[in-house]
Amino acid sequence: MASIQTNTDITSATAASTGGPLVSLAPLSPEALEATLANLALAFADQAVLVATPEAAPPDIAGSSIRLLPYTPTTVSSSPWVLTAADYLNALRLVQENQSSACLLLGAESQTLQPEVVRALATAATTSDLTVARYNLGPREGLVNSAILYPVTRALFAARPRFPLAIDLGLSRRMVERLAAEAQKINAGGQSDALIWPVAVAASANFTITEVDAGTRILPQPVASDLNSLLARIAGSLFSDVDARATFWQRARTSQAARPITQTNQPMESPSDVSSMLDAFQIAYTNLHEIWSLVLPPNSLLGLKRLAAMPSASFRMPDSLWARIVYDFILAYRLRTINRGHLLGALTPLYLAWAASHLLLISSGTPPEKHIEDLAAVFEADKPYLVSRWRWPDRFNP
Amino acid sequence: MWQQVELALSQSAHRVLFKLASFLPALLALFLAVLVLTAIGIGISALLRRILTSIRFDERVSRNQSGSVSDWAPSHSPTALVARTVFWACVVLGLFIGISAFDAAYPGEAPISLVVLPYLTHSVGAIILLIAGTVIARFLARSVLIGAVNAKLQYARFLSLGVKWLVLVLTAAMVLDHLQIGGVVVELAFGILFGGIVLTLALAVGLGSRDIVSRSLERNTDLAPDSIPSDADPKSPSMAETLRHF
Repeated sequence: MASIQTNTDITSATAASTGGPLVSLAPLSPEALEATLANLALAFADQAVLVATPEAAPPDIAGSSIRLLPYTPTTVSSSPWVLTAADYLNALRLVQENQSSACLLLGAESQTLQPEVVRALATAATTSDLTVARYNLGPREGLVNSAILYPVTRALFAARPRFPLAIDLGLSRRMVERLAAEAQKINAGGQSDALIWPVAVAASANFTITEVDAGTRILPQPVASDLNSLLARIAGSLFSDVDARATFWQRARTSQAARPITQTNQPMESPSDVSSMLDAFQIAYTNLHEIWSLVLPPNSLLGLKRLAAMPSASFRMPDSLWARIVYDFILAYRLRTINRGHLLGALTPLYLAWAASHLLLISSGTPPEKHIEDLAAVFEADKPYLVSRWRWPDRFNP
Repeated sequence: MWQQVELALSQSAHRVLFKLASFLPALLALFLAVLVLTAIGIGISALLRRILTSIRFDERVSRNQSGSVSDWAPSHSPTALVARTVFWACVVLGLFIGISAFDAAYPGEAPISLVVLPYLTHSVGAIILLIAGTVIARFLARSVLIGAVNAKLQYARFLSLGVKWLVLVLTAAMVLDHLQIGGVVVELAFGILFGGIVLTLALAVGLGSRDIVSRSLERNTDLAPDSIPSDADPKSPSMAETLRHF
């Protein structure tokens, strides 16, 4: 299983090992738990492993190297499709109680992870502070990650993990402690469902980050299907994290070796029907211009005007325009130019326009990963714009 | 006769000058009270701003409250809002003290403060109502606009404008009522305007939604068991279903 060391600025070694690996599972159905445990038994055939599960009645696993540890979570997350502050607090408790040197956090639907992936995550977790899974998704999947989360994280935090919000993580003890400390701060405000950005946390603490190829995995989907509220939650959390770590990312350099494009995800079998997304953008263009003009500079507004006039077949949003839009929204979030809920609501149609443009581009033969890597490179190249406007927001900006 | 005219004129001039002489110190007392309290307000607000900034008040408020005060007035941080509130409270206090001082210094028959103070209190209330109404109108108008656009409603702007004017009309009526201006005329005009806007919105939304309703009915008819579109059909609605944003 391939793994990539994405952050080479190692200044201190990982915490000394005091025990075996600890695997913490998300709540699973009995069948899923059984399948996951079977996979874990295969992954750690020659090694004793402690598996913490919030299930009350674990299935019979006699004869395997797995020792089950049922536990009652101190805080319960109501968003099982993503790792939240509650998960990191529970992980810290487990690590402390069992004196583990490293911890694997496996998200929902973990029965679809291959045993060798789990093994690779565990191996990497013993040498690296943060190990992040890299999934092989279809061209129509994980679009928010490709459009916003990955490019912004890579450009600002100089960290390469393709899935900054991966739900399968390998964590060193000190990384668990760091994440739990972040979670504790948020939890004090009664937000146990708040998102923590492990890649940003690790990068700003100068911890080592490794990425492990996790192949194909079924990613759990949010229960609520409302894109507006979900995008507002995810993007709002990222923008808030960017705001909180401004002193770090303004100094972080972005010159890292380009990632080799491993085209493993399936090509588009048929052209996408993006008319609904384009309709959403056109309606937004005629109605939200006034709000966008509070956030975006004239140059971006001109770009959107050109975009609105494009025929559907040749609809393409330039990467540079999208990068500027995201950066300007981050700035407006920081400056509270308009209400933050409104701001993130106004981002939704622009994101849909990007998604439509991306799907049309890849249906014309461009490999999805190539486009996403190109986009991330544009975000990196445009980072000085964000830094400049962050420091001097009132300076003239055409 | 001329002497009588002269006497009347000199007496009236004397009365006016006397009133002016007794009025000016009272006016000066009013201005002085307002000026001093304004200066105190500036000082306290600057001090508060410095203290709140040093204890990172904004960050604490945004961390502890998901729907904070900055959601309503986004361009102003909670620190700025607190500082400004304190400043304006000092100014209003100065006005009250000034009017009382004016009343005490001016030897008129009817105490002015008995008339002016209640009206001033009402005016302050009306100004607060007006500001709150305007802020709420803008907030709701934008909320409706963005919500309607994301729901792909063609008449989003119209809906947003309607909501904005509903709130503004309501605010204006409340302000006038608070100031006791217009009486029944305001109530009547408000009723007519409010009802008119609601009726217009209802008609517009009703007429505008005809297409949505008919499309919804058509879709239900299309989804009969024998006509479920296959996944292989690139134009089918199932294409949208396979799109995963997360």
